[in-house]
Amino acid sequence: MGVIVLVIFYGSIAFCVIFSIVRMVKYATAPIHLRWELYRGSSVYELSDWWTKHHPSFKDKLKSAAQDIFFLREYYHLNRGFWYFLFLFHIGLYLLVLWHIWLLVGAVTIDVKAAPTWGLVWGHISVALVLIGGVGILIKRATDENLKVHYPPIHYFKWIFILVTLVGGFYSVQFYYGASMPAVMGYVKDQLAFEIESKLHPPLFSALHVLFISPWLLYIPFGHIMQLFFRYYHELRWDHVPNLRGSNIERKVKKLLNQTVGWSASHIQSGKRWAEVAKGLPEDTAGKER
Amino acid sequence: MKRTKLSDISQNPDEQLLDITAEDLVPLPYPYDKPDSQVPVKPLTNEQRNTYECSLDGVSAIGIPKPESKQEENKAVERFLDGFRKLLSRQDNWTFWQQLMLSLESCVRCQTCNEACPIYLASGQPEIYRPTYRSEVLRRIKQKYLDKGGKVFARFTGNDIKLNWTTIARLAELAYRCTTCRRCAQWCPLGCDNGLVTHELRKLFSQEMGIAAEELHELGTVQQLKVGASTGITPKAFKNIVHFMEDEIEEKTGIKIKIPVDKEGADILLIHNSGEFLSWLENPEAFAIIFEAAGLNWTLSSELAGYEATNYGVWYDDVQLARIALRQSEIARKLGVKKIVVGECGHGHKALIVVADRLFTEETYISRESCLPVLADVVCNGKLKLDPQKNDFPVTLQDPCGIVRLMGIVEPQRRILRRICPQFREMEPHGVDNYCCGGGSGFAIMPSMNFPDWRSAVAGRIKMKQLLEVFQDVISPEIKKYVCAPCSNCKGQLRDLFNYYNVWEKCGIFYGGLVELIVNAMVDIKEPFIKWEWR
Repeated sequence: MGVIVLVIFYGSIAFCVIFSIVRMVKYATAPIHLRWELYRGSSVYELSDWWTKHHPSFKDKLKSAAQDIFFLREYYHLNRGFWYFLFLFHIGLYLLVLWHIWLLVGAVTIDVKAAPTWGLVWGHISVALVLIGGVGILIKRATDENLKVHYPPIHYFKWIFILVTLVGGFYSVQFYYGASMPAVMGYVKDQLAFEIESKLHPPLFSALHVLFISPWLLYIPFGHIMQLFFRYYHELRWDHVPNLRGSNIERKVKKLLNQTVGWSASHIQSGKRWAEVAKGLPEDTAGKER
Repeated sequence: MKRTKLSDISQNPDEQLLDITAEDLVPLPYPYDKPDSQVPVKPLTNEQRNTYECSLDGVSAIGIPKPESKQEENKAVERFLDGFRKLLSRQDNWTFWQQLMLSLESCVRCQTCNEACPIYLASGQPEIYRPTYRSEVLRRIKQKYLDKGGKVFARFTGNDIKLNWTTIARLAELAYRCTTCRRCAQWCPLGCDNGLVTHELRKLFSQEMGIAAEELHELGTVQQLKVGASTGITPKAFKNIVHFMEDEIEEKTGIKIKIPVDKEGADILLIHNSGEFLSWLENPEAFAIIFEAAGLNWTLSSELAGYEATNYGVWYDDVQLARIALRQSEIARKLGVKKIVVGECGHGHKALIVVADRLFTEETYISRESCLPVLADVVCNGKLKLDPQKNDFPVTLQDPCGIVRLMGIVEPQRRILRRICPQFREMEPHGVDNYCCGGGSGFAIMPSMNFPDWRSAVAGRIKMKQLLEVFQDVISPEIKKYVCAPCSNCKGQLRDLFNYYNVWEKCGIFYGGLVELIVNAMVDIKEPFIKWEWR
């Protein structure tokens, strides 16, 4: 069983890292798009000669992103009933991820026998928040007529699986390791060491927890968390960057206008370059659609 | 109201998915608060029903003829899938690939956006008008028919959608039950844009299958590129209209103006929606009066398509969008002007200033901006002598989605109104949270069959409600009230909406642009510029 756990655990980590990178690269290398932004208030277009004026900085965008990611600001304003549970779930999840990172870093930087007890409090509070939020979301999803609409049944299973994984982790730390942070961190240290023996004979509950976590590692590259890269790093929603002469954007646009147009309707001139097609209507087909 | 499932879109082609009844519609305030026995949307004739697809909701917006054979149906399914593949291809759909993928992949089905949609709210919240309905149908078609192993997975995930002629015909109509006002996108915590999905769906039909509303395509963008304007105004006719405007300005105001046309090297090329020249000539006249009085160095263009700000391509077809935007920039560059200023045309603003921004390169680049900051500068910096008391009647502001939510131009028009209209009042909500007038994305110029009824009874109903609420304390028809709508499309919709509800007679609410109010307040013009004559 040890070998299986080993392969599944490290395999799923490798899978998660590789496919997350693949997906990020896919989006990072996506062609620049036409502008289609939305505004929450006044913009630079309120000014004459707006193209010479200040545009929102990366810092402004980062601040906006942080408010959305950490406080789920828009749910707070627009769907308060759902926000309570979503907020608890997400804040708990962020704390839990940080807790795992702390365990990993602590396992190699401090004496594990001196692992502080407050680490246990941190872990349990995180789990409690995720559990309360997760149960609340599951109940809302199952009972609220609006939240049930179009919600694929398989996603209910996802929520149950999350809760089981959390309970398993909690049981493992609290009861299997006797709520001892040195024991928990010691286990993590074993996993990080280049020593195979302990990995081949993992404690039962640790092994089970690993088995439950692995599917999540497989899921993450395809889950919603990846949208963070999509939404913010590509400045999709509030993309204020104008195409100025001599700019990098202009160079990209030029390249795209050299691509061929593949659409088939008769007014398109399929097969020609965008730059040619955009010059005007084809003489023989104009106005003869349908 | 029966609950429509996603899979219903593929089934029972002879039954409508929705019947629109007066009882389901959101109630309106006084004087429209009594139960209305009138059918809100008149039924299609039997001949129309037999000829065109109308099984979505009994309305025909784009007049899709029913197929004559099974082969025709199958071909449509193949072409739809080809088009859908192209939408998902980063090469074919570079223009909007990122936004589309975000919207298809990141919806968590929280339905937060539903509460933002004026059509869904006005119609009694039927399933098919949820902003998420068409997106979810598309998502499931993609999963089942285009993703690897999709048909196998569909069995496990309960995806029972079927792609057939009925699905395609209903989707094509459904693409014209959303004004793409993108209020839902503004509300989505994850950035999904169901308005964009509508846009992409329309694009698939137009760019791959040659299906689009006739008023947008043949009579819209094609006519604009061939004749000069979507209204059919030719360059010669335009020059005659300009002469007529000069005469009429003198007659109305006593001011003699020579309107500059094709003036090379001017600072500003002003482009109006050509609908103004046909329906609201006082609007371009008011612009001319203001620009001349303020001493601006400006011109109009009489070049083919140079006097037309509309770009219907932004509503349904990227190629047509590009053709028109590049034509506009070419004309401006030829005249040697410093910049194009777009008149009171909401979608024209968005199309030329924002969306087309990444279609220009060094050979085609031209600076573009809105008329609103220009007007705000003129009014608020004392370049005109104005008397606000000349506008001492209740005024509210219609925020065109294309200018406000989609461009963030919120304040200049308000600064002007606060300066010149003592009784200015805001609708709620307003600004970037405004509701669409109901005529967005081309609806206002689509008179097909019973679609105008639907547009007034459903799409414009929330706007109607807002207008009645904002003027409720002065609702008597004796008190003349003004809806300032700095957008031709909004004005077209308000005209039809007010006719449908008989608003002028019952409530005395009038509509018009922003510049008309400015000229009406000018001290040098003795006679009122706003005539309060319903037409």
